[in-house]
Amino acid sequence: MQTTRICCGRKSNCLHKLLIVERYVAPVVTLLVALAALQVGGRNGLFIAVSCAVILVLLGFRLWWDLTGSQKEIQVLNAQLIQSQKLSALGELSAGVAHEINNPLAVITQEVELMEMLLPRARFEQQEDRNDFVECLTEIDRQVERCCRITRGMLDFARKREAVIQETDMNQLIDDMVRLVELEIRNKDIFIERRYAEPAPCVNTDPPLLRQVILNLLNNASQAMGGDGRIIITTCRTEDGGAELRFKDTGPGIAKEHLDKIFNPFFTTKEPGKGTGLGLSICMRIVNELGGTLAVESERGKGAEFIVCLPSLTQSED
Amino acid sequence: MSKIKVLIVDDEQDFVKLFVKRFVMRNLDVEGVTSGQQALEYLRENAVDVVVLDVKMPGMDGLETLQEIKKRHPVVEVIMLTGHGSVKSGIQGISLGAYDYVLKPFKIEDLLERILKAYERSRLNRGR
Repeated sequence: MQTTRICCGRKSNCLHKLLIVERYVAPVVTLLVALAALQVGGRNGLFIAVSCAVILVLLGFRLWWDLTGSQKEIQVLNAQLIQSQKLSALGELSAGVAHEINNPLAVITQEVELMEMLLPRARFEQQEDRNDFVECLTEIDRQVERCCRITRGMLDFARKREAVIQETDMNQLIDDMVRLVELEIRNKDIFIERRYAEPAPCVNTDPPLLRQVILNLLNNASQAMGGDGRIIITTCRTEDGGAELRFKDTGPGIAKEHLDKIFNPFFTTKEPGKGTGLGLSICMRIVNELGGTLAVESERGKGAEFIVCLPSLTQSED
Repeated sequence: MSKIKVLIVDDEQDFVKLFVKRFVMRNLDVEGVTSGQQALEYLRENAVDVVVLDVKMPGMDGLETLQEIKKRHPVVEVIMLTGHGSVKSGIQGISLGAYDYVLKPFKIEDLLERILKAYERSRLNRGR
């Protein structure tokens, strides 16, 4: 089996040593110096003791600051972990359900085909009855096709994707997908604005998986806006060598009560039969598998912005 | 290094001929066929690294062919070519496992680069 991991450089190791000095060595040393200064006494001694006390307070403050910071980080990471565990559990479940439903669907399809074959030989009292019958068969066909679309989506959602890491130019990868979407929306009044970072952020990641995410996000954005609007795409490099990709649209935005549901599988605000509600959850799963995060910011009436953060990965096998 | 083996699948005979000629000049080992069925037959007998596949073909279309190729030969990478460009078929193609999606007309250098990337990936996959 193969996994991907985030590459940690020597830098963080060095930082860690500094932190140990700050947390464990510095307070003790300062305290000792303060006590020694008090022992010596005099104006100079008092002055040194007071400055040491100030330093101690500052160190304490920094410790408190770090702690609250890490607590927040833990909360965020916990939420991400729960999200990704939930998605993978749902993935297994939906794969099971999809396989189970596909079998009866295949039987129904075959039976319908057989009925269509036998139909010319059948005798009806009135021509009208025959027409009704044909209509029924067509409807069954259509509904089975709809079910197949759902199970295909479920299987796609559940599919275990093994990332193959390649060096990838983010701007180019996004622009390929943008040109595809632009061809589709050429009759509409939608403008796509590119705010690409120069030089282009290069990230080690899985290109086809990322293409799927970006095409889905762009497609959602253009569909959300209907006839006219603007999509703004921003790329930038992150400090850890990864990239941040933003996709902002001027569509109707997402209602507050829907915000924490939109990444759930089968959640959709489209009409029944129009969408399977799996697009964004598939995106979330892929981004998680690439070690990154997918977030959304939106207010009703003010459009939506999807933010993809990706680390630069190294391939490892174990 | 051995040559990269590429199979081009497009229903337009002239396009395939020209494609083979241009990429052989770039030192690739290229073979051309004109239908999805032929592509699958060719793949059964020959080792191929990268397939360049037209989306719109009569009979077995690009997406069906892609699905079959991925089922039978998972390490073969497929680059889809499309003239009309539809987001729906793009999403389908990529979720079915296509490596890349290229709009016609394309620049030869550009496609060559993508073929090299796809080849790199199929080699990484084979190395497992």
